[in-house]
Order: sequence, then C-alpha cells, then structure tokens
Amino acid sequence: MAYREKTAWLTLVCMAVAYGIYFPMMALRETPPTLFDILWSFGIIAGTQAAVVIIGHIVLAAQAPGAAGRRPDERDKAIARRGASAAYYVLMAGAILVGVVMPFTEPPPKIVNTALLAIVIAEAVNHFLVLLSYRRGWHG
Amino acid sequence: MARVVNQVRTLRFLAGEMTQAELGEKIGLTRQTIAAIEQGKYSPSLEAAFRIAQVFGKPLEEVFSWEA
Repeated sequence: MAYREKTAWLTLVCMAVAYGIYFPMMALRETPPTLFDILWSFGIIAGTQAAVVIIGHIVLAAQAPGAAGRRPDERDKAIARRGASAAYYVLMAGAILVGVVMPFTEPPPKIVNTALLAIVIAEAVNHFLVLLSYRRGWHG
Repeated sequence: MARVVNQVRTLRFLAGEMTQAELGEKIGLTRQTIAAIEQGKYSPSLEAAFRIAQVFGKPLEEVFSWEA
C-alpha cells in the first residue's frame, strides 16, 4: 500500500473514531449543550485526533522515508483534486442547511453542531474518495 | 468499453527488466503510478505518456493505443 494511501486511511479511521464519539455524545445529552460545552468537548476530541494523526504520520514516514519525502506526482494530485471537489459540494450543502434553513427552525447549539458535522462529513468524503481512487483506479 | 491500453510492461521487459521504480524515477512518477498505468487503472497525462515513450525510444502510438 502506498504511503499516501496509508495516511488517508489513518486520517479517515481517526476521524471516524473521534467524531463517532463526539456527535452521539452531543445528541444523547439530556440538556442542550452551551457554547462552552461544545467548544470544550470538540476542542478536546479534535485536539486528540490531530495528535494521533500527527504521531501516525511520523510513524508511517519513519517506515517509508523515501516515499514520505517525495512530492506528489500527477496521479496523486488528480486523486486529491477529485476528493476535494466532491467534498466541496458536500460542504456547500451543509453551509446552505446551517446558514439558510436552520436559523429559522433550530436552536443555536444544534446549528453549531450541524455545521461541525457538515465539515466532518465533507472531510470524510474527501478521504473516502481518495482511498477509493487509489484502490480502484482513477481515469481523470 | 473503449479505453487506453499500453505496452509499458512489455517495453520494460525488453529494456532489460527495467523496474517500475526505475521507470518512475526517469519520468518523475511514483512506482505506484507506473503500476496503475500498467494495470489500466490510471491514464497518464499526455506529457507523462510522451516521457514514457521517450524513455523506451518509441513513438507514442507504439506505447499507448485506443482500444474501442
């Protein structure tokens, strides 16, 4: 498995674990979270996830020193563009939902968490498409 | 389905079993990308296709062709 594919797996799995904890935790609360609750919980979880991803990148780079230092080639760039382009549409849909629809129907904490969820889903779509493209091929 | 096919694996063999990594090194692509090209999982850019043909000293149409 290529170095870039491994790092995409690492990021996707860490995201799934981190936000698989955060969003159910928020949804199952009996009282609505305050802004401080959201910032505190999200900050801890996102910070822990970032630390694990950085450590994982260091370990993977140590295992493949040549590949880690190499610049992405045209296929790597095409695959990255494909993931980012799909993620953009997901993020746009989320932005319309939280910025145009939800302010008229939902309380602020729910809007904030939905915005965070949209970002997380967009990023997950990005990494998923990157992995799919490395696995199944890319004819861009 | 129509697709681009190539003779890169054969040409590497004829070039003294040149490895995918060696070919990639010559044209600025990774070994994984050369493998993807050989397996038909990635169609290279025109520039990369010309570079590959140049490495083997062949015209482009002898390396890549369109299979309808």
